[in-house]
Amino acid sequence: MNGVLPNGFESWLSAAPERPAGVGPDWLDDQRRVAQEQVRAQSVPTSKTEDWRYTSLKGLLEQGFAQVDESITALQPDDLEEILIPGLDSHRVVLVNGRYAPELSVLGDLPKGVRLGGLRALLDADPDALRERLNRIAGDRQPLFLALNTAGLDDGFVALFDRAVMLERPIELIHLSVGMDEPRVAQPRHLIVLGDGAQATLIERYVSLGESLYCTNSVLEISLGRDAVLQHDRIQMESANAFHLTGLYLSQDANSRYRGVNIGLGARWARTELVTRFRGEQAECDLQGLYLAGDRQLMDYHLDVAHSVPRCTSRENFKGILYGKGRAVFDGLVSVARDAQKSDAAMSNRNLMLSESAEVDTKPQLEINADDVKCSHGTTVGRIEPEMLFYLRSRGISAPLARRMLCLGFAGEIIQTLSAEALREHVSEQVGQRLESAPLN
Amino acid sequence: MLAVKGLRANVGGKEILRGLDFSVGPGEVHAIMGPNGSGKSTFAHVLSGREGYEVTAGSATFEGQDLLTLEPEERAQLGLFLAFQYPVELPGVNNTYFLKAALNSILKARGEPELDAVSFLRLIKEKLKILHLDDSLLKRAVNAGFSGGEKKRNEIFQMALLEPKLAILDETDSGLDIDALRVVADGVNALRSPERSMIVVTHYQRLLDYIQPDVVHVLSKGRIIRSGGKELALELEEKGYGWIDAEGQAA
Repeated sequence: MNGVLPNGFESWLSAAPERPAGVGPDWLDDQRRVAQEQVRAQSVPTSKTEDWRYTSLKGLLEQGFAQVDESITALQPDDLEEILIPGLDSHRVVLVNGRYAPELSVLGDLPKGVRLGGLRALLDADPDALRERLNRIAGDRQPLFLALNTAGLDDGFVALFDRAVMLERPIELIHLSVGMDEPRVAQPRHLIVLGDGAQATLIERYVSLGESLYCTNSVLEISLGRDAVLQHDRIQMESANAFHLTGLYLSQDANSRYRGVNIGLGARWARTELVTRFRGEQAECDLQGLYLAGDRQLMDYHLDVAHSVPRCTSRENFKGILYGKGRAVFDGLVSVARDAQKSDAAMSNRNLMLSESAEVDTKPQLEINADDVKCSHGTTVGRIEPEMLFYLRSRGISAPLARRMLCLGFAGEIIQTLSAEALREHVSEQVGQRLESAPLN
Repeated sequence: MLAVKGLRANVGGKEILRGLDFSVGPGEVHAIMGPNGSGKSTFAHVLSGREGYEVTAGSATFEGQDLLTLEPEERAQLGLFLAFQYPVELPGVNNTYFLKAALNSILKARGEPELDAVSFLRLIKEKLKILHLDDSLLKRAVNAGFSGGEKKRNEIFQMALLEPKLAILDETDSGLDIDALRVVADGVNALRSPERSMIVVTHYQRLLDYIQPDVVHVLSKGRIIRSGGKELALELEEKGYGWIDAEGQAA
């Protein structure tokens, strides 16, 4: 049946690679073409597709999203005011509807050996700089949304660090969405490469102006050299009507350390796929996650962490708060190859249900083929403890405030792993605000 | 201040309080003693409004208001405070944030201005000094990982901050060694005032060596069967609860 049935994503492809003639390297055109074929060869995943068992694509397909085909240039730096986080000092890169916006970005002083900015700008300036780097980590047989992103590959964010370069201030990547007359899909492609021993902090934020309907299908390729260290805070705060997809593909060389903090608060439908591949021993990957799912909201996380070499450590710690008719999916897979002795992995997914009608499908899995490993997983789905609630109320605190305080306490473990105090405050405040308007049953 | 008349209450369908009469005047300290299962903690919880306790008869009024129809937070806002026998751990909830939320909730309910961060911290420092506590407990999550003694001290600290009109200390001595007991008792004594009444619920007489009550009540099978001065506590200590039970049955 492959290739026979139209899979519904033709509109995502139609306007994709129509770039001005003569711009862009041939090798990229080839990659786009291959990806287009891969898209057309696939059928739409259904509930019978294991990875999509709990998550329907129906709502997404009904929107008939079309590829963003024009840049938004009308925004002024003042328009960013409501989006910036007070007290957060960063090298700021702004993308609007998936396109790099140099007029809104403030890169600041960068040390030698750091290249930062828009993907298209870099491709235009130095067409071969990314030839060996872009579209490498994600692999040849690309799943549908990765293939769609590659087929439309046009712009995004790039950070290239030479070996041993350290950046003190964080890089802040703001992905801003602005509603268009027709529902549009933006497919930014982000590439982060840290050379051996390089260190950086990246804060990646998805925000919108207004509550419009749009779709983001972003893909990140992150490659960490030996001993490289990346702290990666990801704050998804899309519009309440948006659809959001992220595919994050991480490759770690020996001794590298990655910590990703995934905060999911926005979008009506959000799916995040985190894929980690260890390429050298003694690398560490720490994935933290916090999601809120309220009425009409779906938060879907898929983790695929492969311990293919010995002596690597991974942590997967995800917490969710669900209310109203909110839904969440946690599908975490940690696999340990036969030769990957001394692997150390601990996966946990805990959920706090504030209503009877919320639903979570949680499926942590360990696939272990080595015998000398330390691996564990645990999952809980619970409610607020009446004892705790009574304790707070007995001190004069109203029931709604007491519930919020307990939820924030539950979320605090994840929030505190964010890199900056200003960011922690921002996220706590956003979580508090959402819970304040949450229905209690 | 507090008047309880003919109070009957069930827990899980079983009657625990069986017609309890009790009253406390302003500034008075009353001790309630009794063997396990006599209903001491149930009484404390019914007064503070905990769920799961069904009042079937009687009344409890606090400064003329019907206490039993109020939510737990409304009782606290009126000036009632329960020091828990087992203070609850709240992982992730910062103690300072908690104390500020509690105090401001009470001030707000009374129509008084809430405290800003600066005046709140000043107040906290002052209260810590009165109780001779150090400020390390402020930075931690409420009771999380606290030792038994730290938990009880945190209860007394909350009481010092919230300045209740009536404090109920539910077996505050349980699980404390003699040094911790003294610290807690000193804290309680520092908070005694002509406007503040206290109900000290305890199984053992030893707490009353440190907190001198005005009146001692003996609770048995859900009723107060004897009241007297502090010498009653000593008599109980000497003769044991069997003495009272035997008398109670005879009566």
